[in-house]
Amino acid sequence: MDMKRSYYEDVQLFTSGVVVFWFVALLLFLGLLPFLFKNYYVYVANYMAINVIVALGLNLLVGYTGQISLGHAGFFAIGAYGTVILMTLLRCPFLLALLAAALIAALFGFFLGLPALRLEGPYLAIATLGFGLTITQVIGRSEFFGGRQGLHTPELWVGPWHLTTDRDFYYLLIPITVMLTVAARNLIKTRVGRAFIAIREADIAAATMGVNLVFYKTLAFAVSAFYAGVGGGLYAFVLRFIEPEIFTLLMSIMFLAMVIVGGIGSIMGSIVGACLLSWMDLQLRNILSIPYLGDWLETLSQSYFSITGVSNIQYIVFGLILILIMLFEPLGILGIWLRTKRYWKTWPF
Amino acid sequence: MKKKALLRAAAVVAMVCGLVWNAMAEEGVSDTEIHIGQWGPQTGPAAAWGSVARGTDAYFKMINAEGGINGRKLIHHMFDDAYNPAKTKAGVKELQEGTGMFAWVSGVGTAPGLAVRDYLMERQIPWIGPSSGSLHWIDPASKYLFPIYPLYYIEAKALVRHAVKDLGLKQVAIAYQNDDYGKNGVQGAKAELAQHGLQVVAEVPVEVKDTDMKPHVMQLRKSDADTVLLWVSPVHAVKIVGTSKAMNFTPQWMSTSTCSDFPLMMHISKGLWEGVIAATFAELPDADHPLLQKYQKDAYGKFAAKDERWGLFYYAGILFAEPLVEAIRRCGQDLTRERVVSELEGLKNFRGIGGEISYGPLDTAKAYETRQGMKEVFLVKCLKDGKAEKLSDWMAIQYP
Repeated sequence: MDMKRSYYEDVQLFTSGVVVFWFVALLLFLGLLPFLFKNYYVYVANYMAINVIVALGLNLLVGYTGQISLGHAGFFAIGAYGTVILMTLLRCPFLLALLAAALIAALFGFFLGLPALRLEGPYLAIATLGFGLTITQVIGRSEFFGGRQGLHTPELWVGPWHLTTDRDFYYLLIPITVMLTVAARNLIKTRVGRAFIAIREADIAAATMGVNLVFYKTLAFAVSAFYAGVGGGLYAFVLRFIEPEIFTLLMSIMFLAMVIVGGIGSIMGSIVGACLLSWMDLQLRNILSIPYLGDWLETLSQSYFSITGVSNIQYIVFGLILILIMLFEPLGILGIWLRTKRYWKTWPF
Repeated sequence: MKKKALLRAAAVVAMVCGLVWNAMAEEGVSDTEIHIGQWGPQTGPAAAWGSVARGTDAYFKMINAEGGINGRKLIHHMFDDAYNPAKTKAGVKELQEGTGMFAWVSGVGTAPGLAVRDYLMERQIPWIGPSSGSLHWIDPASKYLFPIYPLYYIEAKALVRHAVKDLGLKQVAIAYQNDDYGKNGVQGAKAELAQHGLQVVAEVPVEVKDTDMKPHVMQLRKSDADTVLLWVSPVHAVKIVGTSKAMNFTPQWMSTSTCSDFPLMMHISKGLWEGVIAATFAELPDADHPLLQKYQKDAYGKFAAKDERWGLFYYAGILFAEPLVEAIRRCGQDLTRERVVSELEGLKNFRGIGGEISYGPLDTAKAYETRQGMKEVFLVKCLKDGKAEKLSDWMAIQYP
């Protein structure tokens, strides 16, 4: 859509003053959010921000490099457990523990990237699926990780700052999210990002052009796992309690759905997808309290479903929304945005 | 002129009084309403336990139909968390910070409960009767948390005592789920056996995701056990019994209250559950018990959905809410959280449709005595038609 005239124009972070304006406006909004909304929405925002981090990382892998992962809940779990254990056993400060745990997740990502060199499509999906399931099994059986009884997180200190409320945590989480977003955007504009995209388009062609497949494919997995690890470490402190059953296959699928619904191969898409799906995940259970619609759904379920059917409506609606988005907009929400932008380009004429 | 000034002054005084009154009124309580929250999985892996919350709901509706408590109606806010702790936390925060709950009742599951415990305790919000027999609720004990569900530990002790003393069985083995639910059972069984100078002949861990029970049964059979305690999920328990029967291994099976809903167990086991002995903490569904029959008639009969079953979990939802209702009743008009806590602490030998419930002023050194509500269970045996035969009276058991 936009013509690039030089390399520097291609790599610059902000393409125009308008973008800078909206970016600053967004930051201001994020900064003020805890004062504008009730505490509950700050918790929801925290939940969203964590999913944004994971979706960004997963999009680097799925959207930009063309590999698939159904095992991101595993990296997420490694990040969560790594952070908590480093803090309780080694008395690491939080940020250091978070970084170290994310690096451990990245290391696992690197190892998972190795079979990915020979596998693709459904075969890779199965391999990563196995990884995700194995991790929770290993954690659940080991006393060191608290087994199935789970672990409580320690008190959260960042330097002299004692974080106790959702709002405190929000102000720690949002800068990390913004930093990781900018980092992801930067990464895809560099040599590494172009190598990822080349692999996605055609890995043989990329190899012919001199892209080191072994290096870049495993790197994509490692970076993606790093993001998931950071997300997991932060998630532990949102719940303040972790146990292996939290990190299920369903969680991995949710992460993938966020990327696909938001828009594959797009930073903005990851953010929008993660926010939308997290919101629906937490809020759709209230669907029955919507006036008229809720009553209608309730009578519907009472006549046709079993006793718990009425609660399952949220999943039907959830699935329906996903199907509709995919059916009418294969590019995800981002596609809708792009078309809207194109349509209004010459406005008001 | 003077009259107007007087009126104005009166209005100001009234307003100030009103404001002060508002500031003093407890969150979640008005002159006509008491808001009580509860989570319970209606979907997801633990949806079978969703009937607990529906039971509580019918119970509150029954109370409201009878005029409420001291002129106030109980407004029950229940939500589905799908057994996902992140959702439990979101829902609890939403209700607490939006509508404002006076107290929380029941709440299925250890993990969902642990995700919100600190949140509720820091805000000094009473939480009565978490629906799981975990040690987490009294270790450490909290001032505002009042567990009821008897510990799995004492269920194991009661069963082993019955096996050794009444049935004369000596070779006790246990198949347990590898988490704190299962391990509490192992601890209880070992402690009781040690008192009789015996040891467990086999301890077989079962993982939540295990599907093939053959290796587990082989181990049990090799140990020559004459009694096997099943401290596993209902599905695993049925599989173990079925596999054992196919392998000609027929010890006396014993199980926890989790598997004591006999009509349900007979249904999913296709009749294999007959003869199993289980511990339970509530009166039997068809018991000759006036209060239980009243609930069946007035709560279940009038407010349950049409395909709801009058089963253990359903009226457990009533059982877990009884002490809270009693405490609110005893508070009279002066309903505050502190008052409810002190009324609960004053509850001694309270009996609803389960075992006796007693609390005491919080003493962390005596967490079991002061915060574990129910300390007794009784034993039942599954008969051919899914009915239960009562094997013992209520057995009060100490921990540890």
